[in-house]
Amino acid sequence: MIVRRATFAMGTRFEIALAGEEERALGDVAEAALAEIEEWDRKLSVFCRDSLLAHVNRTAGARPVRLDEDTFELLQACLAVHRASEGAFDVTVGPAMRALGFHDAAAPLAPAAACFIGSDGLLLDEEERSVRFARPGMALDLGAIGKGHALDLAASVVRQANGAVHAALLHGGTSTVTSIGQPPGREGFDVAVTLPAAGALPERRARVTLSDESLSVSGRFGRSIEKDGERLSHVIDPTTARPIAGGALLAAAVARSARESDAWSTALLALGRRPQGLGPDVTSLIVPLDQAGAARAQKLRAAGGRAAAFHCWECQ
Amino acid sequence: MNETTRRLFLQQAGGAAALALTPSLAGRTLVLDEPLQVALVGAGRQGRAILAELQKIEGLKVAAICDSDASRLESGARRAPGARTFADHRELLAQGEGLAAVIVATPTHRHRQVVEDALAAGRHVYCEAPLASTIADCQAIVAAAARSGRVCQAGLHGRSNPIYKLAHSFVRSGAIREVVALRAQNHRKTSWRTPASDPAREREVNWRLDPEVSIGLAGECGTHQFDVAHWFHGKYPRRVRGAGAVRMHQDGRELADTVQCTISFEDGVELLYDATLANSFEGQYEQVAGTMGTIKLCGTAGWLFKEADAVTQGWEVYANRQQFHNEEGITLIADATKLAAQGKLKEGIGLPHPPLYYALEDFVKSVVAGAPVACSAAEGMRATAAGILADQAVRSGATVEIDPSLFEEG
Repeated sequence: MIVRRATFAMGTRFEIALAGEEERALGDVAEAALAEIEEWDRKLSVFCRDSLLAHVNRTAGARPVRLDEDTFELLQACLAVHRASEGAFDVTVGPAMRALGFHDAAAPLAPAAACFIGSDGLLLDEEERSVRFARPGMALDLGAIGKGHALDLAASVVRQANGAVHAALLHGGTSTVTSIGQPPGREGFDVAVTLPAAGALPERRARVTLSDESLSVSGRFGRSIEKDGERLSHVIDPTTARPIAGGALLAAAVARSARESDAWSTALLALGRRPQGLGPDVTSLIVPLDQAGAARAQKLRAAGGRAAAFHCWECQ
Repeated sequence: MNETTRRLFLQQAGGAAALALTPSLAGRTLVLDEPLQVALVGAGRQGRAILAELQKIEGLKVAAICDSDASRLESGARRAPGARTFADHRELLAQGEGLAAVIVATPTHRHRQVVEDALAAGRHVYCEAPLASTIADCQAIVAAAARSGRVCQAGLHGRSNPIYKLAHSFVRSGAIREVVALRAQNHRKTSWRTPASDPAREREVNWRLDPEVSIGLAGECGTHQFDVAHWFHGKYPRRVRGAGAVRMHQDGRELADTVQCTISFEDGVELLYDATLANSFEGQYEQVAGTMGTIKLCGTAGWLFKEADAVTQGWEVYANRQQFHNEEGITLIADATKLAAQGKLKEGIGLPHPPLYYALEDFVKSVVAGAPVACSAAEGMRATAAGILADQAVRSGATVEIDPSLFEEG
């Protein structure tokens, strides 16, 4: 039996499908997992004034803000991906997101404050489990990792349900999906990704088999807005405080945790290539943006420890 | 103003100056100049929400956490670095030297024992509402609070919520003139069940659905909203009618998942109350209708809807307005005049912290600086009694008369 539950959070729809024997037990676990997602939505939202993130953004420029263990580990993970991605992944783009109107569609386009951006100013105190901003005016936007984080914690609620759940699939807005166990008689869950046409490369589909892994996909215009007739990507280049100019058309990442896959799909999209520092535990598939890149690529190939799990084929 | 109060006041004023670099002055949190240690008893979902808010108060340390469930204790500890953990609150009290206060967020029917023990041990107490699941237990808590001479605050958040306080001052100053009707609802779509890690603990964990100890939707949710009605109307109820049924969650439960109550106040004004676990439309709100306007309150937001013949106030020129179908609401914004003068009125919409933060901040101010208690145990008992009697009316389908002596002052 499969029980499905859904909720609206983080500006999208989260859905959980749990397989097991007993309907009531599955329903209880699904609700508890969704409650976890809703809790993280309230904590990490940049749209609500009363979220923990809003408190951090208001306060950490003046004094350290103490955090719970999960939020502290989330910020540690943000810095780890920042370093491994050569700075392409940066959660301090909050002032640029605000200036470009991603936090309020009606707000006028303002000059983005590049001087406030940079994860070097995101100071974590391991001892006190607190966060501080080196430059007042800095602000975090966890839009590129929050969904993955919420899914990981929801998945841990599902895993705690000793035996009631045989296998599970959880996704947030179809851009990040995390899996627990396998469907009966299968190696894992098959998930399909549509890869857009790029230059000479035709539109393709990729299938990846997930087994206790997560997959995230970032598109260049996944959550774009129109400002002054220009289509702005929601992925910001931390060095210019503007939407990325280069990068990829689409990037997919498979990792052990949804937090990693979510962050890395954004980082890979911004970079447009797989960085040297990225280990085999993150598998990537990148659709290049420009004609030249597409011509060079000729064929799309996944890279990383689980590259063999990706199967690409052309759409007819 | 005594020395401690003055110090606290200066701290807050100083804190505001230090934060002047940030975009908005609003949303600053309390800074204590002397460390304060508190304990949490009950680390379920509400307990964990309390820990998140307490962390914002600088100088306050959650030094101990207690829960009889090991997995909840562990998840609580992840939200309070460095706290000692206990399975029994008596051990916590015996070993908790230096603890100034205890925050009680256990299941409702277990409040009384913890509150009595904590007060007897000389600790100040913040007790989540409803205060207890029987009127006798509520009265015991009120008596224990009076005997102890300690701060004992009931966790009814409306009393501390800046938007509710602003709305209350509007109603008191005649903005909606005579109150003619009250309405409140709590709509959510949830089974109210929690998965138990150990099947033997199934009933204990799902105490809200246990007809032996639970006071149902009218008690668990209604209590908070009945208190808002008591406070805004300035009067107490005399009788309550109710009805309820299991409309959606046919899982063998006895307690209704959908209830309606009508509470009649001493002046004949009625409060219509409606709560369900089967539908989430419009969530939770309280509404006060008067002859010159209506106030609607939704936790972190509130609006004033004026009648056409109501007088226009000077400040309405720069008020923020929001459209609801054919109605136009004036958004209730704390410090609106100051924000408007700075051209930052829009930044003031909504609360910078969840209502729970303000209730806990008020409690800490009472503990460290002797500030008046935001919601006394006696006031908590009155709201809880209304909730318990409304639950009785829902279960029996009969009209329940309320003894006015329950609500007598002192």
